[in-house]
Amino acid sequence: MADAQSPVLLEARDITVRFGGLVAVDAVSASFHAGELVGIIGPNGAGKTTFFNALSGIITPTSGQLLAGGRNLSGKGPHRYAAAGIARTFQTPRVFPDMPVADNIAFGLQFAGRRRTGSWHLRDALSILELIGLGHLADLPAGAITPSQQRLLEIGMALATRPRLLLLDEVAAGLTDAEVEAMAQLIRRMRDELDLAVVWIEHAVTTLMRHVERVLVLHQGRKIADAPPAEVVRNAEVIEAYLGDEMVEDAGVPA
Amino acid sequence: MTKRPFSAGTPVLTRDLLVLLAFTGWCLALPHYGSEFEVSMALTCLMYVALSSSWGLFCGSTRYLSLATSAFFGIGAYTSALTLDSLPWLASIALGAALAMGVAVVMGAAVLHLRGTYFAVLTFGMTELIRHAVTYFEKKVTGTVGRVLTVVPERDTIYLTVLALAVLAVLVSIVVRRSRFGLALAGIGADEQRAQTLGVNTRLVKILGFAITAGFAGAVGAAMAVRWTYIDPHTVFNPFIGFQTVLIALIGGAVTLWGPLIAAIVFSVLAETLRLQAPQVYMMSLGLLLILSVLYLPGGLASLRWSTMGGWWRDGYQWVRNGRNRERING
Repeated sequence: MADAQSPVLLEARDITVRFGGLVAVDAVSASFHAGELVGIIGPNGAGKTTFFNALSGIITPTSGQLLAGGRNLSGKGPHRYAAAGIARTFQTPRVFPDMPVADNIAFGLQFAGRRRTGSWHLRDALSILELIGLGHLADLPAGAITPSQQRLLEIGMALATRPRLLLLDEVAAGLTDAEVEAMAQLIRRMRDELDLAVVWIEHAVTTLMRHVERVLVLHQGRKIADAPPAEVVRNAEVIEAYLGDEMVEDAGVPA
Repeated sequence: MTKRPFSAGTPVLTRDLLVLLAFTGWCLALPHYGSEFEVSMALTCLMYVALSSSWGLFCGSTRYLSLATSAFFGIGAYTSALTLDSLPWLASIALGAALAMGVAVVMGAAVLHLRGTYFAVLTFGMTELIRHAVTYFEKKVTGTVGRVLTVVPERDTIYLTVLALAVLAVLVSIVVRRSRFGLALAGIGADEQRAQTLGVNTRLVKILGFAITAGFAGAVGAAMAVRWTYIDPHTVFNPFIGFQTVLIALIGGAVTLWGPLIAAIVFSVLAETLRLQAPQVYMMSLGLLLILSVLYLPGGLASLRWSTMGGWWRDGYQWVRNGRNRERING
């Protein structure tokens, strides 16, 4: 879908995040192009979520630059990232529990989503609810729906900002195999039909590798690979750090 | 993007406006038939309606518990005490509100990034700081302990002004609840960072909300100062004003529209009837009311419905019956 000519939506230059003596993210550079579907994998504590937090303005990197559409967003608040078309979800759904499901969606439409028109599928709260399959729950309080529905709502809230780049943080964690597959289909659909780039962090590596076009591998805060899945599974450093022999067989690539 | 699903329907709006209209009408009629005592009680009541409704507007929806109400109240009171000789009545009140808002913007910029206990304690600390600064200034620079207000408007003027402020506070709450600004406040109360990632400039919204609350407290302070005719820092910056505002809002239901108003009425009646005869009983009943509402009515008095009481009745009945069963089994 994406090629080198697609415009760069977000560029991270040498992002370093330090918590006291711990270097959580170590000089990671990456750029995300329009229409791309990128995966980020790495063992626990590799710095995936911290990297996401830096990409969405939740934390200010210790050093490095974040450029969106040529503008420097380093050190700006998360609302500026949302305004620049970067939306994210959180690992544990952070919905507004007392508000009805429809209002949770309307929230994003009223703020960051107000500045853009976005795709036809993102025209109003109900169309977004239809897209994520929660149309029948519109009037229920968000706190009353199941955790896996909340996870979908979390995605819907991010979509309501009518983003150009969607950052998904372990949206398939804890789901059954069938649900993981359905989630992967939804992610592909969002990318294809809503004209947005998706960056997807996941622990379920096998599913992720089947759907993404490019994988970033983080290990101890450093980026050790950034290539299409077929190449990544052959990368010796990645195999040693993370994947193991088992993964390589799964992906059908001889070690 | 044509409909805003988050705003409640028009029937609720009509109901709210009608209730407010009826309340205003009743308050307008009161000075014509009520006794001096009743009007004075109504004035206290309206003062707390204005204070706690405007407090709930920001602090209730965002859950930023501010104890600074007395600081803004005191600033307003001092403004009118100092300017009433030279300025018309309404201009003094507007100036009091404006100064309180200015202080709130500075204070908010300094402490609104803190949450919970830290925010509450710091707003309280800043209130004390302002009170002591004013006391110091008055003693050292102007050489006074307090101020006597010589130009005092009629009783009805004060009453109508405070009534107007109370009605305005409720009206602003009604409007804000249906606006994007109100949605942003609710989002901040639910999950501030999430609201931020959805595009809310939370810092700006919080400072603005805090300033609106402060403006009301300042205006009420300016209007109430003349009622006392003599003011000193210890009366108008009395932290108790801030505490009572918070208590009323919490007892009534800080997130609700009518809670602060209902609780302000209950509270004023309790205050005026019990405080003189039995001050201890008054404080005790206030404390008891707070405990009961926190335990059994977390949404405040405003969340009380017939069905709630039905639920208590059923629970109690169940409890008694289970007790009997236990006796039967054990016996």
